[in-house]
Amino acid sequence: MASLSTTSLSFKAPSTTISQVLRKASSSQSVTFGRFTSSTKSLRLQISCAAKAETVQKVSDIVKEQLALAADVPLTAESKFSALGADSLDTVEIVMALEEKFNISVEESDAQNITTIQEAADLIEDLVQKKPAAETS
Amino acid sequence: MGASKLSGMQKQVLSLYRGFLRAARSRPIEDRKRIEMIVSTEFRHNSKEVDRKNFQYIEYLLRLGTKQLDQLKSPAIVSLSSIKVVTSKT
Repeated sequence: MASLSTTSLSFKAPSTTISQVLRKASSSQSVTFGRFTSSTKSLRLQISCAAKAETVQKVSDIVKEQLALAADVPLTAESKFSALGADSLDTVEIVMALEEKFNISVEESDAQNITTIQEAADLIEDLVQKKPAAETS
Repeated sequence: MGASKLSGMQKQVLSLYRGFLRAARSRPIEDRKRIEMIVSTEFRHNSKEVDRKNFQYIEYLLRLGTKQLDQLKSPAIVSLSSIKVVTSKT
């Protein structure tokens, strides 16, 4: 399987604590699995028609890898890409990485409307269900 | 701050960027990584350097980038020497 690569970093977030944390930890590439499972599951109980917790978790992991976020940066379904320091180019890269991971094709008009992890997860599940024969890793 | 609406020109730039990443995807992994690095660097460089109100220059860069993307998609092209493409931030 081809590995995902982070081609460049871009931290243009507004001057907030989150921004400072991101800059300090920008060299870290580690990814933690399952750390936020608890909060993700509780979120699912609160949101009707939300994407599966598993999908939200996978999306979070990919976003974290694409943006080279530190493992301890907390992500929730409502996390906005822009709040994590992503510019519009980063968002394009995130959507492309999600396409490869879930073996789907995202229309550009849909891609331009994605601003949070929840929105990405919802769209992914919708697209996966439209392709019954598609294999998801 | 909420997500701002992308201008038409910004959408064209992101569409071009997306096209390059898609084209790179069909290449062997070493080529792909190099292409992605070159494309990303050029887009981000121009996002800093190009005045986003200089519409004529941006349109020129978009046309240039589109030609280079077409060349990249051609199987005859083995390597990618240089790309000058434009981008802009939301």
